[in-house]
Amino acid sequence: MEQRQLKSNAVAMMTAVNFSEMKISRNPAETLVAFSIGSGIGVALFDPGCGVGGILNFMLPDSTRAAGVDPAKVPLMFADTGVPFFVQALFEQGMRPDRVKLVAAGGAHIMDQTGMFNIGQENYAALKNGLAKYDLTIQHEDIGGTSSRTLSLEIGTGSSCIKIFGQPEVKV
Amino acid sequence: MTDLRDIIAQIDLLEPVPPVAAQILALADDPNSSLTEISELIIHDPALTANLLKICNSAFFSLSRRIDSVRDAISLVGLDQIVELVLFNSLSSNFNKELVGYGLGERELWRHAVSSAHVAAMLADRFGASQTKHLIFTAALIKDIGKLILGRFVAFSYEQINILVHSKGQSFNDAEHAIIGMNHEELGALVAKRWNFSEKLIYVMRHHHLSDESARQDLETVLVYLADLICMMMGVCTGADGLSYRFYSDVLNQLSLNGNDLQGIIAEAGKNQQQVEVLLAL
Repeated sequence: MEQRQLKSNAVAMMTAVNFSEMKISRNPAETLVAFSIGSGIGVALFDPGCGVGGILNFMLPDSTRAAGVDPAKVPLMFADTGVPFFVQALFEQGMRPDRVKLVAAGGAHIMDQTGMFNIGQENYAALKNGLAKYDLTIQHEDIGGTSSRTLSLEIGTGSSCIKIFGQPEVKV
Repeated sequence: MTDLRDIIAQIDLLEPVPPVAAQILALADDPNSSLTEISELIIHDPALTANLLKICNSAFFSLSRRIDSVRDAISLVGLDQIVELVLFNSLSSNFNKELVGYGLGERELWRHAVSSAHVAAMLADRFGASQTKHLIFTAALIKDIGKLILGRFVAFSYEQINILVHSKGQSFNDAEHAIIGMNHEELGALVAKRWNFSEKLIYVMRHHHLSDESARQDLETVLVYLADLICMMMGVCTGADGLSYRFYSDVLNQLSLNGNDLQGIIAEAGKNQQQVEVLLAL
């Protein structure tokens, strides 16, 4: 396997992935970051075989329930349209499902936000559903609860970090 | 527990909001006021006038001709937008600061504030509160002003607050009150009082997390609360407090909102966020 190490003199680049966005990179100096994820979910995919990785930061489970918004214009806002869009874009960059490392963070809820109002939980179900169609499974996840999370992916090493304020960073 | 006098003494260290802001707000929601009265108020503040004209002539509004008077600005850009710009002009320097205790970087509280104000205005239109739209917008914009002061006290007590939130299931504002003796709602209301904001605005700020049962019957407070929740769920610069506030499904039921409606509103708010980002970059 090709060794992808950050050169010591390289300037590290940080690229934010806002909600309803995805970023894909093969630049080993780049780190993708989805800041303060709430009920939405940040999904980091990395293929060490070809050094390509990306983060999708979607917000809602189902594009058919978004009255007043055209999902064709914002496919990355929803799990049902965003996950296929993201995964296919990575396939086009040479990603192979058998080599993928997959990390997911988010899906939080407001305290006592249960039943039909628990969008975080629905997001998680929709994500798993979307990934299953490509035989992709989540290797590491931090889902639910009432904390917001920051998820990052270092393209140079393929490692992901999940950060919750006041807690040690979890590196996977 | 902290000596509350130490906290309250900090109110005077905030950059004061010019009285003109409160006066314009009062006029904007008064159906009997005229545009002349409002523009008279603005032109007596030269710095505000200059800033307003600069922004109105910026590419953001892309107007067909140059605006050179406040009267023109109001008629071409619209009163809602002018009120918004006056508020931004008076408040952004306070809100732009980094807030260590809440885990918010520079400009992050401002971004959250502006976003929730826009969501609140959208909700005001949807739920028939257009009469008090400016009040709702303003309340959503400044509801967290108490955090500007409380941040450093939260930083010292974060461990204890965190235990109450994550082990005892208390909301962040209840935990603030229990540990520090005052929460950001109570402190925010004191700031608003010092700045001579209206009684109603003070009330909404004081109860925007709806801990008080009677506030759950007040439409303006409910809409500001809902806008805040939506921004937390969307993840617009939430900090150390995350989503650790109470959800009252009864309040949504009163507005005849079900789970699908909530998702629809979040989608619309997410779409509008692009516009908000442009505004924040001005």
